[in-house]
Amino acid sequence: MPAQNTPISESFLDVQNVTLQYKTKEYLVTATYRVNFQVYQSERLILLGPSGCGKSTLLKAIGGYLQPTEGVIRLEGREIVKPGPDRGMVFQEFEQLLPWKTVLENVVFALTAGRRMPLHEAKDQAEYYLEKVNLIKFAHSYPHTLSGGMKQRVAIARCLALQSKVILMDEPFAALDALTRQKMQEELLELWSGSHFTLVFVTHSIEEAILLGTRIVLLSPHPGQVKAELNIDWDRLDDPGQQEFKELRDRIHRILFKDQIEYVI
Amino acid sequence: MGGKNLALTELRAEYEREVVAPVEIGNLQRSLSLWEKLWDSGAVRKLLILIVLATIWQVYATRLDNPLMLPTFFDMLVALSQMFLSGELLAKIDTSLRVLLLGYGGGIVVATVLTILAIRNRLGTDLLETLTAMFNPLPAIALLPLALLWFGLGLPSIIFVLIHAVTWPIALNVYSGFTGVSNTLRMVGQNYGLTGLGFIWNILVPAAFPQILTGLKVGWAFAWRTLIASELVFGVNSGSGGLGWFIFEKKNQLEIASVFAGLFVVIVIGIFVENGLFKLIEDKTITRWGMKS
Repeated sequence: MPAQNTPISESFLDVQNVTLQYKTKEYLVTATYRVNFQVYQSERLILLGPSGCGKSTLLKAIGGYLQPTEGVIRLEGREIVKPGPDRGMVFQEFEQLLPWKTVLENVVFALTAGRRMPLHEAKDQAEYYLEKVNLIKFAHSYPHTLSGGMKQRVAIARCLALQSKVILMDEPFAALDALTRQKMQEELLELWSGSHFTLVFVTHSIEEAILLGTRIVLLSPHPGQVKAELNIDWDRLDDPGQQEFKELRDRIHRILFKDQIEYVI
Repeated sequence: MGGKNLALTELRAEYEREVVAPVEIGNLQRSLSLWEKLWDSGAVRKLLILIVLATIWQVYATRLDNPLMLPTFFDMLVALSQMFLSGELLAKIDTSLRVLLLGYGGGIVVATVLTILAIRNRLGTDLLETLTAMFNPLPAIALLPLALLWFGLGLPSIIFVLIHAVTWPIALNVYSGFTGVSNTLRMVGQNYGLTGLGFIWNILVPAAFPQILTGLKVGWAFAWRTLIASELVFGVNSGSGGLGWFIFEKKNQLEIASVFAGLFVVIVIGIFVENGLFKLIEDKTITRWGMKS
């Protein structure tokens, strides 16, 4: 397929009519049903939904770990068929770092594993990104000596260093304590304003979605279907009374739970 | 939950204060005393146990006073040093270790091939599981008569038996280590674009290293005891056998102190490999990586 120019107004990552199914021992489970959405370059797209809406499965399909039973996922016009470093993943689990490598080696290995980059170049790049996430002091520590937040920071640095076309994050802050989570969210936005990477971020927290996203895809539970796509207008959200924030949060809440007779805020 | 019922509790004053700077507290950490450090070292504690055992042996043998049944610890040491000086024992150790390493290496190779087959497709898994179920319970020494028939008296027979002894425990441990590698780590490896042997070597092997090491240790112990046992059975290899043969020979000559010296050497080599070599590998790898507490 010929290389295409992708201006910002054109879809970059294209999820088309995607139905995902996986097998357990006894059942064939449909995780998502005919999901459609587009991601533009430099967008921060949030997949938001209650647990069991197939948002993680969807992210894994974009990562190339499983194939849709119906529909197609394209990145820059090319169909996704297998995992690869052009779609860097950050997982929820802290154990995503290779425990037998130091922090620096972990990032370097991500760059050299597919023999894509000479070692000295990889090292420079790894140090640059570790500096960015404030972990250069711990470059030679092993992962098991780091706190959960620091491990996730390394995982993010690793992804940024890969310079993937799109970065996929699967609830990366969900296992962190509330204070650390808040700090990591701020840091992620800061990193984004530095390099404007394209981000697909999975979460089940409405607040996190509003804080981090430029556009939110709302999914219904079981099987996941798109219920709405919302834009986040950052200029409006900056007001000190946080009125806009609350209104948006309530609106999302209504959309997600309107099928249920009563809901609590 | 009485948190909101302010009316029920007396309203107390709020306050803020400056905390004491850590430098002023002092003694946040102190270094351990020499005695504490020594006692923390496993080698020191184990050495102590060995000294106690040797003392018991010495006292009991002296009171028994029957050098043909049980020579004293010091008699054994004398016999040991004499044979070391004459070079006799060193030659035997050399022979035994060479054979051992050949068999051990061969077993590792066979186990590696089987395990790689096993994780690549289902038929390979079935093959490994069936073979292990068949051969793992079979004592290696029971194959010796057959080996003698097929390969004759000498090196090939012993190596065949050793490979059999080593392959199954290693293959079993490595395979179960591979299957236990977490899904997240696998996905990380795939995300980097690793496939096939690159994936096995860079992700599966280090991630399963604790169990691989266990397999290697068990394999080593099996190899060592199989070797000594089969050498006891024949062991003659162009006139110079190994340690097992040495023990057998000395018993026939009623040099019981030398028999004990031979056994002692077997034990010492075992301890050295277990607490020296494998401990070193462990410290450099899984302990450092936080895979073992």
